[in-house]
Amino acid sequence: MKIALAIASSIVLIIHGIVFYSQSSHGWMQHQEAYIAEAQNKATNDAERNELASRRPRLEQIIATQFGEPRVDRCVSCHVAVDDPRFVGHAQPLRAHPYSKELGDSYENGRWERRHKFTDFGCTVCHDGQGRGLDSFYAHGEDRYWPEPLIGYVAQAEWNEKYRQPLRGKDYMEANCAQCHASGDSVSMPHLERGRRLFFEKNCYGCHRIDDLSEGALGPDLSEVGKKWKLDYLWESLVDPRANTPVSFMPKFNLRDDEVKSLVIFLKSRRGTNPAQTSLQRYRARAGRSAAAGQAPVLQADLPEDPVARGEVLVRDRACAACHKLGNQDGGIAPDLSFEGLMKDTQWISDHFRDPRRLVPDSIMPSFRFSEPEFDAMTLYLTSLRTPPALGDSAEIYRTLCARCHGANGDGTGPVALYLDPAPRDLTKAGFMNSKDPARFVRSILDGVPGTAMPGWKGVLGQEQAQAVLDYVWSSFVREPRRDAKKRSVPETNPVVSTAESIARGKQIFVQRCTGCHGLKADGKGPNSIDILPRPRNLRNGPFINATDDRRLLESILYGVQGTAMPPWIDYGLTANDAGDLLNFIRSFQTRR
Amino acid sequence: MERLIQLPRLVWDSIFRHPLPETDLGRATTSFNNFFLHLHPVKVHRNTLRPAYTLGLGLISLFLFIMLVVSGVLLMFYYVPSTAQAYDRMLDLRGTVAFGTFLRNMHRWAAHGMVALVFFHMCRVFFTGAYKAPREFNWVIGVGLFLLTLLASFTGYLLPWDQLAFWAITVGTSIAGYAPVVGQDVRFLLLGDHAVGQEALLRFYVLHVVVLPVVITLLVTIHFWRIRKDGGLSRPEEPEPTATTLPVGTRYGLMGFVRGPLTKSGNVPDNAVFSWPNLLIAELFVFVLTVAGVLAVSLLFNAPLEEPVNVMHPPNPAKAPWYFLGLQEMVSYSAFWGGVGIPTLEVLLLLLIPYLDRRTEGVGRWFAKERLLANSLFLLFSVINIILIAIGTFFRGPNWTFVTPW
Amino acid sequence: MSQGIVEIVSGVEHKGAVDRRSVLSWLSGLALFGSGVISLVSDFVFIKPRATYGQPSRFSIGRPDAYPPGTRMAIDGRRVCVVRDGDQVAAISTTCTHLGCIVGVAETGFACPCHGSRFDQDGTVTGGPAPRSLPWFKVNLAPNGDLEVDANAEVSPGTYLTV
Repeated sequence: MKIALAIASSIVLIIHGIVFYSQSSHGWMQHQEAYIAEAQNKATNDAERNELASRRPRLEQIIATQFGEPRVDRCVSCHVAVDDPRFVGHAQPLRAHPYSKELGDSYENGRWERRHKFTDFGCTVCHDGQGRGLDSFYAHGEDRYWPEPLIGYVAQAEWNEKYRQPLRGKDYMEANCAQCHASGDSVSMPHLERGRRLFFEKNCYGCHRIDDLSEGALGPDLSEVGKKWKLDYLWESLVDPRANTPVSFMPKFNLRDDEVKSLVIFLKSRRGTNPAQTSLQRYRARAGRSAAAGQAPVLQADLPEDPVARGEVLVRDRACAACHKLGNQDGGIAPDLSFEGLMKDTQWISDHFRDPRRLVPDSIMPSFRFSEPEFDAMTLYLTSLRTPPALGDSAEIYRTLCARCHGANGDGTGPVALYLDPAPRDLTKAGFMNSKDPARFVRSILDGVPGTAMPGWKGVLGQEQAQAVLDYVWSSFVREPRRDAKKRSVPETNPVVSTAESIARGKQIFVQRCTGCHGLKADGKGPNSIDILPRPRNLRNGPFINATDDRRLLESILYGVQGTAMPPWIDYGLTANDAGDLLNFIRSFQTRR
Repeated sequence: MERLIQLPRLVWDSIFRHPLPETDLGRATTSFNNFFLHLHPVKVHRNTLRPAYTLGLGLISLFLFIMLVVSGVLLMFYYVPSTAQAYDRMLDLRGTVAFGTFLRNMHRWAAHGMVALVFFHMCRVFFTGAYKAPREFNWVIGVGLFLLTLLASFTGYLLPWDQLAFWAITVGTSIAGYAPVVGQDVRFLLLGDHAVGQEALLRFYVLHVVVLPVVITLLVTIHFWRIRKDGGLSRPEEPEPTATTLPVGTRYGLMGFVRGPLTKSGNVPDNAVFSWPNLLIAELFVFVLTVAGVLAVSLLFNAPLEEPVNVMHPPNPAKAPWYFLGLQEMVSYSAFWGGVGIPTLEVLLLLLIPYLDRRTEGVGRWFAKERLLANSLFLLFSVINIILIAIGTFFRGPNWTFVTPW
Repeated sequence: MSQGIVEIVSGVEHKGAVDRRSVLSWLSGLALFGSGVISLVSDFVFIKPRATYGQPSRFSIGRPDAYPPGTRMAIDGRRVCVVRDGDQVAAISTTCTHLGCIVGVAETGFACPCHGSRFDQDGTVTGGPAPRSLPWFKVNLAPNGDLEVDANAEVSPGTYLTV
């Protein structure tokens, strides 16, 4: 007992000793002692030497109150020589901050004068890092929890190895220059300006909102994105949007590393209010903005007179090709526009521009807020694209026109398929292909499928060519002899008159049988839908439902859709009249509108 | 002159009225006449001193509480309960303030330790059947102390004003909001606002540094006082002593029991030993061990400090403090039952245990055979809660999905 | 450990073990006492701030050129009056030595608005309740060419820095 007590007491004493001793010496003290010793060597006169000799290490700090929130920067406790010209080029931490005309420093009478005096600005306003930290791990922001590690100089341990290297470099400091300096200033921020340009060139503004710059509403607001995220997250989100947000439908833009870097710098600079602005200036800027709100800037100032030529400039400037294919350019996200004039009429293009989701309800295309004349010019330009593509045999037709969505192997996984909703049909599913009348497929090819991304190709292909493509699909992908579709007894038109009672009955059946996949809202997003490919049909897709006749919908309900998860409900006791009620219910979404 | 020489001696004697006791009488008088020692009985039962019986859990809890008060008061010198400054003060504690990190570590780990130790103490009391008559009410006070400990730890959780704190309190108080009828009002009262913010920080600060410690001190005092009034610590029943009954009609002063031969003819004459030095040494030992443990942990592990609060950006998953993660786990199945129904039932059951379970067999022994059912039920209750907490702590990842920690 | 308890409880002291035990007692006592002392000292070290939140006591007041010869300029935020006489610079405290008010700078010297203390141009008391003359602070030329005042270091009145 007493031995144990004595041991425990000794442990207590030892820990006390360790803790007490640990407070007697600090890194910053040693750095300051080193500085004092070296400065004494460099001193030119005795007075200076005596002054240095009398100095003892002590905690140095700059309390900067003028820019942004008050900051306490104790960086100078270690970097004590930061404003001592004799230490330019010295090894860190005793290196003097470089002087540079780029930073606004001036050289007069053999002496540099700083533009940004450290006593006024502190350190972290430009460099980030943790001003209150006194040990380099925390001060430099290497702690994974610190939101602002030294910008461009420190990568935190959990940062993705892939992006670590390109995230280093003083170029990133531009993001903080932009905290005070607007782009109109004479300050040179090449990467930042490029990033801002890319933000528009790559059509980021179509989906993302940034105060004073853009009004996109599809993606997250990026006004303060630099405050919220570190460099690695920004980089990763640009390169691989789904890395951080698995449900993101942001396309993978094919950006070069230097473009990503510029965009990261631009995004990092979005950190909320400008500390150099007064509240009055801020208010005026906001008040002035409301007039021009939402107008995307036109990058080329002098537009040609000719509307078609003007439309061409606009389409190019707005980087439609960042998503769409247009001639040689291919954004790899959205359908081919190269011969849009052959496939769509002016009215469709014009309507679709203004509200894409009115015609294709699940389209990811943003509703850009261009002006009416701009819309008209762009519509005219697209309508003018009437040069048919060079087409050869059926295989080449498939490759040129179909493979972009349906995939080279016909399995519906073409390069842009990921971004299309409803997804392109998987043409390898023999069950589906055999269950439908070939004439229907030819019709779909020539007339398109309303409410989906499938365009009508009749402006490009003739009846025979469509038939040839279908034959090609059959021989290359389906690889089964065509079976004659079974004769099914399906009423040609809805046997039940659409009345309130019928709709109510239909709704009841729908809730019982259909919601698991099609969802309570009938938008195809029921709880089971995530496990089902192809996805359940969005039954609120007006253009599709309106364009599809009763017979086809009734057949899908009663006999199922082979090759998909839709079962033949006639086997589960649904009568033709029940199907009629369901159909009335589904169609009621559209009439109600 | 001679008086002057005697002065130190006089001052000393005025403070310590007795020399180190050599005799039993001296030992008893020391206990009586010393403010700190008179909380102790003059004599304690041998069973009280058996480490294997109590494991010292209650004492450790007390000492942790004292350490928390001391380190907490010191931390108050640098803390500012303001949303603008609280986090910066944490950084200063870590960066500039001498011993700041260490004191914060001590406070943090002692707080977590106290939550755990109070719970273990409760388990000990249950498994030894020590809550039975006449100690029913002391058990109730103990349950109250346990809840207050949780509350004290919970209110302290917010004070660093980092992401961990902010979202843990947001989640924790939201759980409270599930209570029927009064839930939202309680939450509003606690937060002083509809969301965690400056008002909540100030309220939690006041609760944490004044209200709860005072209440806990008061209840701890009553808890200890009642131990004596309830006849010391629980112990196994002993054969009826062949005691000489005291002459009826004679009044005895308190000292009378100690001075005379009657000490030896009391209720349990042969099993009682003097508190001085036996109990005191044992207490000192537990104290030193507790201090050593907390110091060692504080030296080795730093208290977490996460990002500064970002109201717009909850971490995924946002977790309550670990001792509420069992609740959060249950809330993920059913908001009402997990957050309010089951916890309320649990607390009610805990409070009523001594009044429901009135059999007196098996008191004073660990896992007495006679109490197999009760002990099994309580063990099940504890294990389920511990498992739920473990699941919530280690096995829940982003979006509250199951993850494996390894 | 339980054996230890029993030994104490029984109160039987084995001969020969006495020395070892009293040594152990002394060791425990000393260790605990030492720990207590260290804790107490640490508490005071803890309470004494290493960094204060006000402006630092050593601060830059800008280039010497900013103070043409003959300047007597008070910097109220820093509670200091910069005096330049020819190529000599000094800094005189503007905190009244009586009760801590800020003295005003007049042509003839300094005057305290609170209780009427008066000082001459060098800060020497000429009237009023002030017990001491205004202290002079050390001024030196920082490596970057700025003047630096150290309000923690007093120098004897009349000590100028030549620039």
